[in-house]
Amino acid sequence: MSVTPEKLLVVNDLSTTFATAGGPLPAVANVSFDLMRNETIGIVGESGSGKTVLSRTIMGLQPRTNVTVTGSVLLNGSEMVGTTESFKRGLWGTEVAMVFQDPMTSLNPVMRIGKQIDETLRVRLGMSKQDAKARAIELLELVGIPSPSQRYDAFPGQLSGGMRQRVVIAIALACSPKLLMADEPTTGLDVTIQAQILNLLDELKERLHMSVVLVTHDLGVVATRTSRIVVMYAGRIVEIGSTRDVFANHRMPYTRALLESSPKVSNASHTRLITIPGRPPNLLKLTQGCSFAPRCAYASDKCHQERPELQQADQPGHSFACWNPLPITRGDSAS
Amino acid sequence: MLRYVIRRILMLIGIIFVISIGSFFLIHLLPGNITAVIEGPGASPENQAKLYKLLGLNRPIYEQYFVWINNILHGNLGTSFISQTSVATTIGNALPIDLEMMFLSQILAFAAAIPMAMRSARKPDGIVDRFFSAGSFTMLSVPPFIVVILLVLFVTYKLGIPHTGPSSYVSLRADLIGNLESMALPAITLALGSFVIYFRVLRSDLIATLQEEFITMARSKGISQRRIMWRHAFRPSSVALLGAAGVNIGGLLAGGFVVQYLLNIPGLGYTLIASINTDDYLLVQGIVLVVSVGVVLINFIFDFIINIVDPRISRE
Repeated sequence: MSVTPEKLLVVNDLSTTFATAGGPLPAVANVSFDLMRNETIGIVGESGSGKTVLSRTIMGLQPRTNVTVTGSVLLNGSEMVGTTESFKRGLWGTEVAMVFQDPMTSLNPVMRIGKQIDETLRVRLGMSKQDAKARAIELLELVGIPSPSQRYDAFPGQLSGGMRQRVVIAIALACSPKLLMADEPTTGLDVTIQAQILNLLDELKERLHMSVVLVTHDLGVVATRTSRIVVMYAGRIVEIGSTRDVFANHRMPYTRALLESSPKVSNASHTRLITIPGRPPNLLKLTQGCSFAPRCAYASDKCHQERPELQQADQPGHSFACWNPLPITRGDSAS
Repeated sequence: MLRYVIRRILMLIGIIFVISIGSFFLIHLLPGNITAVIEGPGASPENQAKLYKLLGLNRPIYEQYFVWINNILHGNLGTSFISQTSVATTIGNALPIDLEMMFLSQILAFAAAIPMAMRSARKPDGIVDRFFSAGSFTMLSVPPFIVVILLVLFVTYKLGIPHTGPSSYVSLRADLIGNLESMALPAITLALGSFVIYFRVLRSDLIATLQEEFITMARSKGISQRRIMWRHAFRPSSVALLGAAGVNIGGLLAGGFVVQYLLNIPGLGYTLIASINTDDYLLVQGIVLVVSVGVVLINFIFDFIINIVDPRISRE
């Protein structure tokens, strides 16, 4: 199978199953999507919907034991699934890199931040000590850290959360990856810092010609920054389409529930947010039907018995998995 | 960091002061009259009273303490009434033997414990880990005096190398090879006990550290497993190891006497037992003081190392 040059990432029928004491746990099931060069795609869903596992599986960073991955991930023409750690190691950093969720835990607390950036440059690119240090300081400057040559010697504990996340981004960018996986990059940060970090990612993406997979539970984050959105529920894609279609013409009730539960500027102050009743399903006890059915206002008997597959919507590239889709004429009431 | 060190040094001085008072009064708690011991059996009460006065024992106790501490600060621990030799000289001859024994045993213990813990932690509950853990647990349950006897039996009967005899110890200055031969068994015995502690502490901390997000992050950089273990996991996992080492090494300084006694190594522990048997009060007092200060100093040094290894500790 060959990849057309425009597609940097092709994910096909990807499933990740953890072996647990309670039986197999399908954290990601039958996920397929692709990503163009220089494109940003958003993966959204509640906590526990499989977003993080999906992004790690794409990168091949799943735990080493008690996990089964099937399907295919073609990254710039290289198959990631079923390959050895040492093969993937050759792609990590240079082809794909990840910005982790919580900068409080993703940096080594007892290693100076400069050394943590250097390391990648020296090990992966074979740079000399001096060159790596100079480049590391450049990177710190690139991600907007003031007085970078002094910060080079700082320990993570001496930096604020926002600064640490900038360092994490600098590490991810060190070897100029073609694909950046950003796993909830702003969840651990103050609201005021969130926009700064997201804008920084946007700007760097343009400057460095990267593709970005932006994983988040916050639809407000992806609204203006992505060209397409993948909506996940219980490890499966339930709706996928262009950002405009997902916001304006969504067909899956879960997507609407997600949209309605995110705060909007146009709301009057103290508007009560609409929440989604119930909680995400226990992945060990999935039924044969649609996983969202128990929480869905539109659920019929069929929904409880048979799982809907993704079906094509009117607009090209827009699909949804629902037996009782919302009517098309919803217009642009949301967002 | 500097403030932390200064605070610790002040604390250290306070602790040593308390220790000095403790070891001074320790002697006064002992039953019996010192003058009777010195004069030997059949001493006349007049002579005893004269000696009592000569030794300054009739002066107030706090005055006695200040005379004593002043002498100690000038390196004078007194002269033994039994052997008529300077206590400081006796200790000065014995202490290097303890230090060497400790040094050798700790090198062996760390050299075995660190790589084995690394290997175990990579696959917890794997075959290698189970083997190492079971082995270390077995050793943990065998006390050193049994280990020593088993080792001696093994070396003499199985390997056919003659060992022991009262004068088996060879000093380092006399003969390096002979010295290492005579030190091998005590060092190995103490190393086994230390190894078990270090292996178990480091293994469990490594396993915990390897679950951390920053390890996954290090993995995502595309660096080797080996580098992740040594550069990223080892240092944050070694705080408890260093803490355990500080306590353990202090314990060896104070508690190595069983091994020394069984193997005729004339270190501090051996000398201490001998001096207790001969009622050599001043020597007992001197050794207790040196060992206590040593234990405190060792703990201080390890505290300091821990702070360098994990800068988060002194920052809060």
